[in-house]
Amino acid sequence: MDAAPTICTQSLTRRFGEFVAVDGIDLRVPAGQFFGFLGPNGAGKSTTIRMLTGLLAPSSGRIEILGLDLATHAVEVKRQIGVVPEGMALFGRLTGYEFLNFAGRMYGLDRETAASRTVELLDFMQLADQPKKLVADYSHGMQKKLAMAAAVIHGPKVLFLDEPFEGLDAIAAGTLKAMLQGMIARGATIFLTSHVLEIVERLCSHVAIIHHGRLVAQGALEELRAGVEAQTPAVAGGSLGSRGERMTLEQMFLRTVGGTRTDQELSWLV
Amino acid sequence: MTKAGFSARSNLLGAIAWMRWRLFVNSLRTRRGKLELASRAVVGLGFAIFGFGGAAGMGAAAFFFLWGGKPELLALLLWPIFFFWQGFPIMATAFTNNPDSSELLRFPLNYSSYFLVRLAYGAADPASALGSLWSLGILAGVGFARPRLIPWALLVLLAFAAFNLLFLQLLFAWIERWLARRRTREIMGIMFLLLVLGVQLIGPLLGYWQNRRWPETHRFVELLIPLQKILPPGLAARSIAQVALSQFTAGFYSLVLLSAFGFAVGYCLHRRLLAQYRGESLSQTSAGSVVPKDRRLRLGWNLPGFASPVAAVFEKETRSLLRSGPVLLTLIMPIFFLVIFRLGPLNFARHPGTAFLGHTSGMVFPAAAGLALLTLTNLVYNNFGGDGSGAQFFYACPVKFHDIVLGKNVTHAGILALQTVVMWVVVACLFGRPSIDITIVSLVGLFAATVNFFVGNLLSIYAPKKSDYATFGRQRASQITVLIGMGVQVLVVVMAGGAFWAARHYGSVWIGNLILLMLVVVSLAAYRAILGRIDRFAEQRKEMLIAELCRA
Repeated sequence: MDAAPTICTQSLTRRFGEFVAVDGIDLRVPAGQFFGFLGPNGAGKSTTIRMLTGLLAPSSGRIEILGLDLATHAVEVKRQIGVVPEGMALFGRLTGYEFLNFAGRMYGLDRETAASRTVELLDFMQLADQPKKLVADYSHGMQKKLAMAAAVIHGPKVLFLDEPFEGLDAIAAGTLKAMLQGMIARGATIFLTSHVLEIVERLCSHVAIIHHGRLVAQGALEELRAGVEAQTPAVAGGSLGSRGERMTLEQMFLRTVGGTRTDQELSWLV
Repeated sequence: MTKAGFSARSNLLGAIAWMRWRLFVNSLRTRRGKLELASRAVVGLGFAIFGFGGAAGMGAAAFFFLWGGKPELLALLLWPIFFFWQGFPIMATAFTNNPDSSELLRFPLNYSSYFLVRLAYGAADPASALGSLWSLGILAGVGFARPRLIPWALLVLLAFAAFNLLFLQLLFAWIERWLARRRTREIMGIMFLLLVLGVQLIGPLLGYWQNRRWPETHRFVELLIPLQKILPPGLAARSIAQVALSQFTAGFYSLVLLSAFGFAVGYCLHRRLLAQYRGESLSQTSAGSVVPKDRRLRLGWNLPGFASPVAAVFEKETRSLLRSGPVLLTLIMPIFFLVIFRLGPLNFARHPGTAFLGHTSGMVFPAAAGLALLTLTNLVYNNFGGDGSGAQFFYACPVKFHDIVLGKNVTHAGILALQTVVMWVVVACLFGRPSIDITIVSLVGLFAATVNFFVGNLLSIYAPKKSDYATFGRQRASQITVLIGMGVQVLVVVMAGGAFWAARHYGSVWIGNLILLMLVVVSLAAYRAILGRIDRFAEQRKEMLIAELCRA
């Protein structure tokens, strides 16, 4: 029998008026895994991540993080998770140092620990060379790195990241990947959404795919891949299964959500 | 230009006009956009009154200058027009997000079209409209006084208007990117407000110094008079005056010189826009300087008696507010009012017994403390407005809203305490030391104002509005906040007024204190009750609060 999942939802639903953004999903994220949460634009990824981190109340359903019910143990759960939400949640009129220091204290660190981790994180994220610059004046990539640093300053057991690599240069993305893999090696669980499927394929051991608010696939990446390949007939001369090649996550994703690239051509384009 | 070239240019200009029209129409989809339109209509009405009133005044003045045989005094009208035409649009950019017309350069716009678009953007500016209107007023005044001067005055004023239009665009070409930066926009905004406040001081200062001799000032003015004659507003006035005095050749030369200024400015503008058109942007700022890594440990602030998160919020709020020019300026505003009152209506040293409030100068400190409280209203009633999308952080972190709101309240109360001390010192210096009785009753009155904090906490949760501490404009509070805030202020003023009246009537300041103390007790009880329930309220309003504050 599997160990208790780190993140578990039951019939998690969110409605906005008549529109059902998330429709009764049952997520199981095993402990210590890098979990990719995928879906087309508007599928309900950000809504789900906001509910899992306490930023949005579900219309119905139940969320458990680390075995604690989020509805009744919100503060205890928040103490053990880190989050980089869609809007990054930064305070523009603080410097990077001040913001990280503030975040550390808000997550319960004492003043000395908050200050020393702030210095370490700024250095690690390569943000230490402009100490007087306000967050409002940071580039998008710098803000992303700062938001990431604030999410990990307290050493969370579970990390929720909404599009963490968007806007990061190759060096920063590499540094971040190494940091996240180090966290996984030490037993943390990471839940991320990303549209860059190559990154998800390289990092994640488990994925879930949401489409029109419903979970259409969930499990270990290799198991899902095998399942989809088994259902896909080999195409002569095609790329799938024809020469013993494995299906890419992008191909799996397109098969699962039923999306196809349009064959229509714009004849006036050069 | 070929027919095809003309058609392509018309097409491009038409597309730009359509784009701006659609931006306007689409902005009306939201309630905020409609309110914006309504407020623009009100502002437009104000501008129209200002424009037509100014034109009538300018016309009348021009008429009397010509009628009285002193046409050279037209310079007194043209210089203010020049300063307004150039100064207002630049200062006003501090209140808005300036559209950068150089963004159009990504499209295949040819240079002449780009130049035309820039001029058209400038001509549509309210300052240009008002400047043109006032110039028309002058033309009308000149025409009524000397009908034969109309063609010449028209020619001169057209040259003057063209100069202003080109000069403004030249200024903008240099500084528009500079103004697009947050910090410089703040500085310009502060300068504009200081200018407005400075204007308020002119009257009192003139009255104050009217009987004093200032030989240095006279010498300075004597130096300026010949200098102004060779600059565009002076040249325009001189050209009309010389023709009015039948000095046609001199008038012609003045017009030629004025036109030469226009051509010179036009040429500089052409060079600047051409460089910009080719991709250069001299006003682009350089990257921030890189300094050696700072590895010093700087501990966060400690607030004795309060939990660490409260102290952290206090530090964050204080640092954020101290970095906001607009907020700081608002907070020191009461000092300006005291100075104005000291120099003006309360200048009872010159008119003993007759000045406004002259017989009740003891009320200055309570009034100043009340004013200090009023300047905090925007902050207290919209606690989370300045946090923007950062408000999400408060929901994501494991801290109760009780502590977050308490941290914000402590900050605002600290500012109020500091303001009150400063006010007391300023009042003591300008009007004499407030009596102990008055000081005590005023302080008790401020405690009674805790009512502002508990109502403010509720409104901050129930009617939040995103606000940018970096800009002066577009900071309207929610309508609910405005209405309830006004109600609370009226209540506080009535209570405080009643207490002061009772104290005076019964000849004992302690009666006033007793009444205010009752309000203090009620306010503190209500404050505690609301703060105790603030987590529940914040949870109930979470979605709306985040949606409102994360709005782009």
